[in-house]
Amino acid sequence: MSGVRPPPPRRGKPRAATHGVEAPAAAPPLDAIRACLEGVIPSLVATCGADGMPNLTYVSQVHYVDRRHVALSFQFFNKTRANILVNPRASVFVIDPGTAGRYVLHVRYLRTEAQGPLFERMKAYLSGIASHSGMAGVFKLQGADVYEVLGIEHLQGAELPVPPQRCELLAAVRNVGARLAHATDLATVLDDALAVLATELGIAHSMVLLIDRNRDRLFTVASRGYPTSGVGSEIVLGDGVIGVAAREGTAIRIAHATSEYAYSRIIRERAQREGLTPDTEIPLPGLAAPGSQLAVPLTVGGSTVGVLFVESPAEARFSWEDEDALTTIAVQLATTIALLQVTERSGDAAEGEPAADATPATDAQVPRGAPVAVRHYAADNSVFIGDEYLIKGVAGAIFRKLVRDYVERGRTDFSNRELRLDGSIRLPDITDNLEARLILLVRRLQEKNAAVRIEKTGRGRFHLTVQRPLKLVEST
Amino acid sequence: MSSTVLDGIVLEFLQHRLMVSAASRSADHVPSVARGIGYQLERDGCRLAVFLCRTHAEQLLADVRATGLVAVVFSEPHTHRSLQLKGSDARVGPLQQRERAWLPVYADTVVEELTPLGYPETVIRTLVEADPAQVLAIRFTPDSAFAQTPGPRAGAPLGGSRP
Repeated sequence: MSGVRPPPPRRGKPRAATHGVEAPAAAPPLDAIRACLEGVIPSLVATCGADGMPNLTYVSQVHYVDRRHVALSFQFFNKTRANILVNPRASVFVIDPGTAGRYVLHVRYLRTEAQGPLFERMKAYLSGIASHSGMAGVFKLQGADVYEVLGIEHLQGAELPVPPQRCELLAAVRNVGARLAHATDLATVLDDALAVLATELGIAHSMVLLIDRNRDRLFTVASRGYPTSGVGSEIVLGDGVIGVAAREGTAIRIAHATSEYAYSRIIRERAQREGLTPDTEIPLPGLAAPGSQLAVPLTVGGSTVGVLFVESPAEARFSWEDEDALTTIAVQLATTIALLQVTERSGDAAEGEPAADATPATDAQVPRGAPVAVRHYAADNSVFIGDEYLIKGVAGAIFRKLVRDYVERGRTDFSNRELRLDGSIRLPDITDNLEARLILLVRRLQEKNAAVRIEKTGRGRFHLTVQRPLKLVEST
Repeated sequence: MSSTVLDGIVLEFLQHRLMVSAASRSADHVPSVARGIGYQLERDGCRLAVFLCRTHAEQLLADVRATGLVAVVFSEPHTHRSLQLKGSDARVGPLQQRERAWLPVYADTVVEELTPLGYPETVIRTLVEADPAQVLAIRFTPDSAFAQTPGPRAGAPLGGSRP
């Protein structure tokens, strides 16, 4: 047979060493067979009942938990389930879809998780498998059955050559890290991070979202590869791959298009349920027909501050290797974001007291033309410039304060510090994301080609550029 | 002698292009598992022969020899329809000439079934082709049948309904 080479040396422990024996102290080489655990070729699980009868069944997903544990998708109350509850020993047959290498995992059932990060990771991945194999609605995860891996047996037989290692990933992580390490301000780091994902990893569609803890939502602060930036668009915590990744603080990866996690459907259904007004909704900049998606939490100091999201029209575009790489990048991105926010804040202190009232504007600086109405709605702090929706929430409250100070006192220069101290804005707490909200505001004003712009003038300071006279209208 | 398990529905299903896998267990109830590379109904109409490559199925073959217990799953990949047959009189033995001649035919059948689903032919052939000298048969009389098609009825005794 062409393309077949002699079997490689046995890598797993011989059966005699693992059969019925406690786990060895050293971790079994589960990392070496992760290609088998992507659900490409269905796996088999053999169990044995109290009556001594063996039982065999297909399992949709054998999920890599860590080097010593796998989780099997528990979808139906069946014989396998009954068996492992009385006899926890099982044997799982997996195949490497690239080499056709055959492995048996000798495992012992530990517990079932019906919620939490592991459950959500498997649920999302299974949803993709189900959709891909025409079993949407049938494959539904009831629980993640966690097994300890006692041993891995590499069965002898013909195998295909091992595909080349993806050695570009580690170099890419290094280069992304170097770029992040040189970032000096938040707006640049967000755009740089997405740009470097495109050049280093060929990831064309990406976005960064940060969490608004007051409203249990994520808001988009940067995106790349979409017709519109969608900056300011929002996702409710727990909705879709991004929302679940943020809520559970874990990477969520889908290898095949699945309507269960499609934002087009989720957003439409939520709008119908909650009666949202579409004129204050900025569309999420996602692909209309994503084949693969990966959302990685941005975690720092033990809490999730946002999500790095990538997607592709191709199915199975992101493997576990991409997930490992993106997760590593996300750690550095989260740390950089946090650090730059602290740096901006230390800039606040250096600036001392809030900026004094403006020096009188020279005649050339006074805007001319018909006044533009800036309408502010107190209920949700949504702001419209003319008829155009701009932003809502904390960013809306900030903009209202700036416009009010400008209209009433002619002020054009502001500091981040005074925004923090301003009672009318009501920033949440120490992790207020003020800088991120200012970036949001700056970008929305640019995209809307508004008569007002915000320009950074130094660390923790910015300037309001007004091209037309403004009129602030308060609505309830 | 007629089998109550190998009734019309089961026999009809076994005519499809099916993947076959087998499980057994050791004396201390540790399960073993292997994928088959073919199967045939015995001429007596009561027994089934499942073919396995001995290098892939060392432990399973040892367990079947020791206990006579076997569970075999037949599955049709493009429909997910699956059936499990169990027996307790299983024996391990060599293949007959006609069975050996049939192995490449089965391999071609599996390629026909799996390539439309996106699996590369080289991978499929590596999985189902074997040196005939290395192939052994597990022969058993099914004494129970279970529907295994994914869904809430998976695992239920067949009792005359489609798998």
